Amino acid sequence: MSLFDKFAPLAEARARLGHEGPAPIATPFEAIHSATRGVVDGREVLLAGTNNYLGLTFDAQVVAAAQAALVSHGTGTTGSRMANGNYGGHEQLERELAAAFGWPAAMVFSTGYQANLGTLSGLAGEGDVLLVDADSHASIYDGCRLSKAQTLRFRHNDPDDLDRRLSRLGDQAKRTLVVVEGLYSMLGDQPPLEAFVEVKNRHGAWLLVDEAHSFGVFGERGLGYTEQAGLLHEVDFILGTFSKSLAGIGGFCVSPHPQTELLRLASRPYIFTASPSPAMIAGVRQALIRLLNGADLRAQLHRNMHRLYEAANGLGFQLGSDTPGPVAALLLPSREAALAHWHGLLEAGVYANLMIPPATPNGLCLLRISLSAAHSDEDVDQIIAALTAVRDQQTAAAPAAMAARA
Amino acid sequence: MSELHARVNEALQSAMAKAVPEAGNLDWQAPLASQNGLDSVQIMNLVMEVEDALDLSVPVDVLAEVTTLQQLADQLATLLEGRPS
Repeated sequence: MSLFDKFAPLAEARARLGHEGPAPIATPFEAIHSATRGVVDGREVLLAGTNNYLGLTFDAQVVAAAQAALVSHGTGTTGSRMANGNYGGHEQLERELAAAFGWPAAMVFSTGYQANLGTLSGLAGEGDVLLVDADSHASIYDGCRLSKAQTLRFRHNDPDDLDRRLSRLGDQAKRTLVVVEGLYSMLGDQPPLEAFVEVKNRHGAWLLVDEAHSFGVFGERGLGYTEQAGLLHEVDFILGTFSKSLAGIGGFCVSPHPQTELLRLASRPYIFTASPSPAMIAGVRQALIRLLNGADLRAQLHRNMHRLYEAANGLGFQLGSDTPGPVAALLLPSREAALAHWHGLLEAGVYANLMIPPATPNGLCLLRISLSAAHSDEDVDQIIAALTAVRDQQTAAAPAAMAARA
Repeated sequence: MSELHARVNEALQSAMAKAVPEAGNLDWQAPLASQNGLDSVQIMNLVMEVEDALDLSVPVDVLAEVTTLQQLADQLATLLEGRPS
């Protein structure tokens, strides 16, 4: 017996991905040249799997702000927000996030993962209930595990199932936090938010929306899917991450409830970790300014989304969502097919994400393309051309399989 | 077998037929995942079906401790017994 015995199935799964060419999982990038170009296996490729929705990682002002803070404040804070790691920039960023929503409370976390861990485990304690969408991100499930609250899940995007489960809880519904996402990152689909709001209001439950993949992408000011749906006044907490549209690392929770400030004293993932570095905070503050004034970026991103969705549908691919979004998930019939598509796309000069179980819901095998405002029309042309080439190549290789799916 | 257990078993069998019709005959004492060949998605769908049938919600941590169909049946019976009214 060894501690490592339990990893045997993982090693087997990794081996099944093959040893030919670049690794599709944890693909090594030899260089990153811009928000849309990087080097894989000695060759420059178009990046179409980065979550870099607004393309701000190389924005001149964002980089300059981070550089200036690095020089003026040093490389790290070497401490928790609760001790020596609470700098002016952290508090300023929190005030700016709160102001963006017009709410009194905002907290910054060191990673997006910790934003969920810290918020869920801190808010919901003994006697409370966390009622989460079944397709929730691992950080939501892990936040639930860290909480002493009882965790229940409801069927993905199903307000009727949420209604039934809240009914079963009776009075406890008023101590229940319902958790949904603004955009589910695997399939790119979005929640029926208005119906969820109606249900939680009827039961007196609380609602948290994780806008990790939708902040910066949707809404007039880029505040996310809740803003676009016109429901900001109906939610209790919004979570976001710095590592997608804001081009950094970290996460946040904002709330219309001023008592959320007290969560700082109760949230272990907030307390027992070092605060984000000064350069990170300065970069994110600059990116937030750009995001809030980013109608031009969102216009380009949405143009790219609509073009890619239309083309992928036209090519006969089945997509994880009917509504165009920043994530286009191509549903493929098997692990092998997904792998072949991933390699085919890379050969055509485009890097996308291979997504396979257990990371995916319902055991799906996906090729996930994520778009950016930094993608030009020509870049989207190249993605579509690569998809066309792969589709033709795969049709030729397996005509029967394609016909069966048609 | 008590009335409660009979109700649970019946609900589980019909949920099984609905959620995983391809599964065939199941060994109630064997691990759902390895012996009976169900993947985590099938197990989750099975649980969702049986929750509907019995009108209850099974906490995620309870599910984490369940490996066999018999253990799931026992947990469902316990949850039903503990429920008010």
